[in-house]
Amino acid sequence: MKKKTVVESEMKKKKSNEKEEAPPPPSDHDDSDDDDSDDSVEVSDYDSISEDEDSSADSIDDDDSSDSDSDSKSELEDEEGASPTTHHNASDDSDSQDEEEDVVDSEGGSESSDLHQEGGGAESDSSEDEVAPRNTIGEVPLKWYEDEPHIGYDIKGKKIKKKEREDKLGSFLANVDDSKNWRKVFDEYNDEEVVLTKDEIKMVRKLMQNKAPHSDFDPHPDYVDWFKWDDAKHPLSNAPEPKRRFIPSKWEAKKVVQYVRGIRNGTITFDKPKKEDDSYLLWEDDSGLTEKANHLAYIPAPKQKLPGHDESYNPPLEYIPTQEEINSYQLMYEEDRPKFIPQRFTSMRSIPAYENAMKESFERCLDLYLCPRVRRKRLNIDPESLKPKLPNKKELKPYPITCYIEYKGHEGAVTSISIEASGQWMASGSSDGTVRVWEVETGRCLRQWEIGEAVNCVTWNPLSDIHIVAVSAGHDVLLLNTGLGDEEEQQRIKELLLIDSPEASDETGKKAPSVRWLKDDKHDGIRLRHLKNVTSVEWHRKGDYFSTVMPSLCLSTWHESSLTFDTFNDLLSSELLSSCDPPHFIFNVSLTYSLRESRSVLIHQLSKKLSQKLPFKLHGLAVRSTFHPSRSIFFICTKKTVRVFDLLKSKQIKKLDTGLKEASSIAVHPGGDNLIVGSKEGKLCWFDMDLSSKPYKVLKCHPKDINNVVFHRSYPLFASCSDDCTAYVFHGMVYSDLNKNPLIVPLEILRGHANSNGRGILDCKFHPRQPWLFTAGADKMIKLYCHQ
Amino acid sequence: MVAKHYRPAGKKKEGNAAKFVTRTQALKQLQISLPLFRKLCILKGVTPREPKKKFKGNDKTYYHVKDISFLHHEPLVEIHRAIRVHERKIKKAEAKKNVERANRLREKTPKPKIDRIIRQRYPRFVDALGELDDCLTMVHLFAAVPATESKKIDVELVHKCRRLAHEWQAFVSRTHKLRKTFVSVKGIYYQAEVEGQKITWLTPHSLQQVVSEDVDIPTMLNFLQLYEPLLCFVNFHLYHSINLKYPPMLDPRLEALAADIYALSRYLNGNTRPAILNSETSQLVESEQLESKQDGAQTQNEKSELRLAQLQHQLPSNEPGALMQLVEKVAGEGEEEYDQETRECKNLFRNVKIFLSREAPRESLLFVIPAFGGTVSWEGEGAPFAESDQSITHQIVDRESQGHRFLSREYVQPQWVFDCVNARIILPTDNYFVGRIPPPHLSPFVDYDEGAYVPEYAKTLKHLQAAARKEVLPLPGAEKDLEDPQNLLAEGIIDRAAANEAAEKKQKLMKQEQRFREELKKELKGETYTSAGSAVEKETSTAVIETGESTNNVQANTDDGAEMGKLLLSRRKRKLLEAMQISNERKKNKHDTIIKRKKKLDEAQNQRS
Repeated sequence: MKKKTVVESEMKKKKSNEKEEAPPPPSDHDDSDDDDSDDSVEVSDYDSISEDEDSSADSIDDDDSSDSDSDSKSELEDEEGASPTTHHNASDDSDSQDEEEDVVDSEGGSESSDLHQEGGGAESDSSEDEVAPRNTIGEVPLKWYEDEPHIGYDIKGKKIKKKEREDKLGSFLANVDDSKNWRKVFDEYNDEEVVLTKDEIKMVRKLMQNKAPHSDFDPHPDYVDWFKWDDAKHPLSNAPEPKRRFIPSKWEAKKVVQYVRGIRNGTITFDKPKKEDDSYLLWEDDSGLTEKANHLAYIPAPKQKLPGHDESYNPPLEYIPTQEEINSYQLMYEEDRPKFIPQRFTSMRSIPAYENAMKESFERCLDLYLCPRVRRKRLNIDPESLKPKLPNKKELKPYPITCYIEYKGHEGAVTSISIEASGQWMASGSSDGTVRVWEVETGRCLRQWEIGEAVNCVTWNPLSDIHIVAVSAGHDVLLLNTGLGDEEEQQRIKELLLIDSPEASDETGKKAPSVRWLKDDKHDGIRLRHLKNVTSVEWHRKGDYFSTVMPSLCLSTWHESSLTFDTFNDLLSSELLSSCDPPHFIFNVSLTYSLRESRSVLIHQLSKKLSQKLPFKLHGLAVRSTFHPSRSIFFICTKKTVRVFDLLKSKQIKKLDTGLKEASSIAVHPGGDNLIVGSKEGKLCWFDMDLSSKPYKVLKCHPKDINNVVFHRSYPLFASCSDDCTAYVFHGMVYSDLNKNPLIVPLEILRGHANSNGRGILDCKFHPRQPWLFTAGADKMIKLYCHQ
Repeated sequence: MVAKHYRPAGKKKEGNAAKFVTRTQALKQLQISLPLFRKLCILKGVTPREPKKKFKGNDKTYYHVKDISFLHHEPLVEIHRAIRVHERKIKKAEAKKNVERANRLREKTPKPKIDRIIRQRYPRFVDALGELDDCLTMVHLFAAVPATESKKIDVELVHKCRRLAHEWQAFVSRTHKLRKTFVSVKGIYYQAEVEGQKITWLTPHSLQQVVSEDVDIPTMLNFLQLYEPLLCFVNFHLYHSINLKYPPMLDPRLEALAADIYALSRYLNGNTRPAILNSETSQLVESEQLESKQDGAQTQNEKSELRLAQLQHQLPSNEPGALMQLVEKVAGEGEEEYDQETRECKNLFRNVKIFLSREAPRESLLFVIPAFGGTVSWEGEGAPFAESDQSITHQIVDRESQGHRFLSREYVQPQWVFDCVNARIILPTDNYFVGRIPPPHLSPFVDYDEGAYVPEYAKTLKHLQAAARKEVLPLPGAEKDLEDPQNLLAEGIIDRAAANEAAEKKQKLMKQEQRFREELKKELKGETYTSAGSAVEKETSTAVIETGESTNNVQANTDDGAEMGKLLLSRRKRKLLEAMQISNERKKNKHDTIIKRKKKLDEAQNQRS
């Protein structure tokens, strides 16, 4: 029992060294086996140690420990000599290391042989002299002795004292100096340091590698067939050899064929060394390259914008926004916010990694493959060069430039003005219900009529010897005698304006029911009573005819044709009831209503006091009408089109498509082939009627409604006036050469009128002889712009 | 009622409907998945088109029919189908635990080849160079990206990108094709001119990039799949053009020292020497090559080896004898083949020997300085010459340190190099001394068109350039004395004096310029030009007040004129004009804010002084 514990203690010692599960420790026998060689090694080792340590201060201690070590060994061996366990160990050793542990555990093995015993005994005898008192406490927890001054008892029962411990520093210093330090192991059981021999270390190494610890142990011995020998009488098995041993394997053949096929087909290839790069001269000769014919034109991606100063790591100071500015960025819309805020770093090493690098690169990738590419012409031009080259304005003089006279007196917005043919007088109508006549050059108000209703339109007779003004106010058109001119002229005028009222009423009863010619006693003129509001009055150039437009009466023959007679009658009656006419009149109207006439535009003859409807079909709402300056042609401007009628042939010649939403005014060039149309969107269309039915030019000049457009009678000028309180004056030259397009040059913007109730300039007219422009504003003023 | 776009049966489609297909239609036609379609589009360079009439709605993407049929005949589609089949087989093998077969299959996965596509996309080499910008930027970015397994960024890929980038840089550096550099917050921009093509690329700062979450890495990898071989072929072509074997063999030791570019340039220099000058150098070169070949073979052992190499440089290596050899300038070598600008670039740093301290951005400086003919070394392993070398003229330092200072050299900040390069002259170093805040770093890509704001330092640089052009002749004589520190010092003083003079001149010039500008402004305002000059500034200002009313009128008139010009324009042109005016307005606003800030700054400075 005692012996066994000793062996195990040694085991423990080893285990504690290695701190790893190792196969069972080598038995002592091992030592004895390799005794000779080991001893010699040990001796030399010890010598070296002693030599080393003689010089050091602790040499004695070490010597002691080595002594004690050898002692312990000798003691062990000594004990082995007596015990059967060791022998059995020794015998086991020769067989296999693996069984050793079991054997150690099972005490009293039966296989012990004397021979071994003797050998062991002899050996242990030889070392018996060196036996020193050893610890005999047995396999008890060492913890029990922790607080005791001794570690245990020797064989004679004496206490073995604990050795003096060096303090940690000392031992460390000693260890540092000691080259054998790494071989030293502390044996707690015996309270001593043990220096492992070379062989022991070898063994430890082998254990660590999971090999058999003994160097002479052969883990793979040749197989010895114990069951076969030459003189054996019977075979081990009497079974006949199976057939498969004689024929080649079918499966193997199949596999081989599979491989062969695989290799032939190239599905199985043998691993070749990997090729790093398979780059080669790709563009060997691109000289003889022909452009690819079949493909679509390739548009290379645009290059990224190159960085400016603000992206620098150290930009000039003025590129860095202040903190306030950066804060103000937060108030901006996200898309307006600058994407990159310049920063400044004082040295290159302080530049941090740019956090959006990956993101920006990714965005670029997206652009590259998701954006449709379109080749756009990049206009790197001066914006001014886009504008057409206009002739010098000075060459186009004279034209109205500055305000010369203001005519004040009206108490409401001046809705309309008209200049007498000689250019000496001007008539104006206002929304306050008055019509005034002014002397142009002095600004004196000559005469004034109280109409009582807001005046829509005022027009002088175009003949210079007939001083009659046509005034439209509400449902009436008044023909007023201005009283100008000499007596002879006055006589003629009075004759003209003389009206036989009962006769007239008869006539209306028969023929012209929509208009009645009445004598107006109050103003000493003629009153033409219409069915609806009359917005404009236009004289024919000969001064005998004039046309009136009632835009609100939009009923036309087209309606009639689509409606039944009864419904039409009802409709008419309902409409006419509002105009307080006698009921018999209705019947007449319905009778005289022919299929091809329009009632919103009427033409009146002054000399015969006759009114007649236009014998034309009219689509849409009539806005304005005008006569051709030289021929018997009549223009009616509806909201979207301009219709041109020949009055003699009584048929439509042309239809001009304005493309506007709502036309508001029309003017014909004195030549007669060109006309302009102003619209409520502020657009001005110039038509060249010889050219096409589409506008030759559309000028978007006013932001608000155009109220009137007008041509000058002799100068190549035209003007437009609008609710935005401006009047534009243009140069509009029409050449007699048909191949030459009219020249249009904007000349001047005339300002000066004030806005009132959202309305600006309501009317504008040129002086018949001078290049002067009169404008009538909603601010109760009339202004005259002259060319100087 | 017949449908609006009714097409009778059997009649072919016409117009846009016949020419374009939507993306969904295209996918159906090609019978491929959307990711694959995207990939094909990226590789083949097929982009959506903008039909005049979007017949299926505005929210659709349209492709041209021809483009789609172009993709239809693409062998890549077949290869990708094969890859898919292969992946299925691998999956099956793995499910059956047949690891060997799975591995074999994995190795045999067909790999799409891009070379044909590259040739198709860029029929001429110049075409490829023309579109190299994005390629280079991307490759340089991925050279700095951390390899992450989860995002499928391979270590190999990153290494390859790094290698390609360095090869490109080495070529540019060797042939002195670099023209402009710009250190921005986003990274460093370089512009090179190769075969008449201006190629600009951005390299991130030598810090690792962060791969943010909102970036779709697979898309970028698709691009990289095209860019990587493209750059490879371009590099091959370029190396071939200067008679070099393409995949260059490098000294792995230098590579490990993160001085790949230096290793490459050494390789280039070593191998392009036309005739062997003396046996010694040739032997050296040979031995180097041998060595590098051996090492090259080693590097084939993939990542682990590379990692080891990288680890190596942390360990002190005891290898004696620096393999380094100075980048020797072979005088008069092929000088004629360079054009004027290249020659200028080549000789910029000819007599400058620069040493980089530890904190200086080594990688970019090692690229830039040799590109402009300079000699450069750095602190650390494998450097061609040590810090103590007496012939060093400049030392690049980014942080003020207490180390030994050599009187014979100037200690400057790295910005000096970049500014010199952009200005094409050797700038006086006073402003760039260590510890000072260097003058602003200006972008060389800005063209100052008329009326644009010109920073003050740009003007200074311009004057310096002008001065240098005049003094080109005396410079070479001065260079002989470079070795003598005393002379150098004296020279420095002279230089400084000259610089001061130049600065004074510049100030005078600027004053004159300002005066001229003011006068111009006055003229514009409609004032009569006073020949008395600017001495009567006060008078003129009062005149302005007096004539204020009239000028107002005049201004209104000019406005009218502008408006009148617009009247006659067609609507399209008018809109264009308005857009132009808006953009001009915006530009002007920007310009004005900068000027305002400048004014404020100047005022603040004046108050301080």
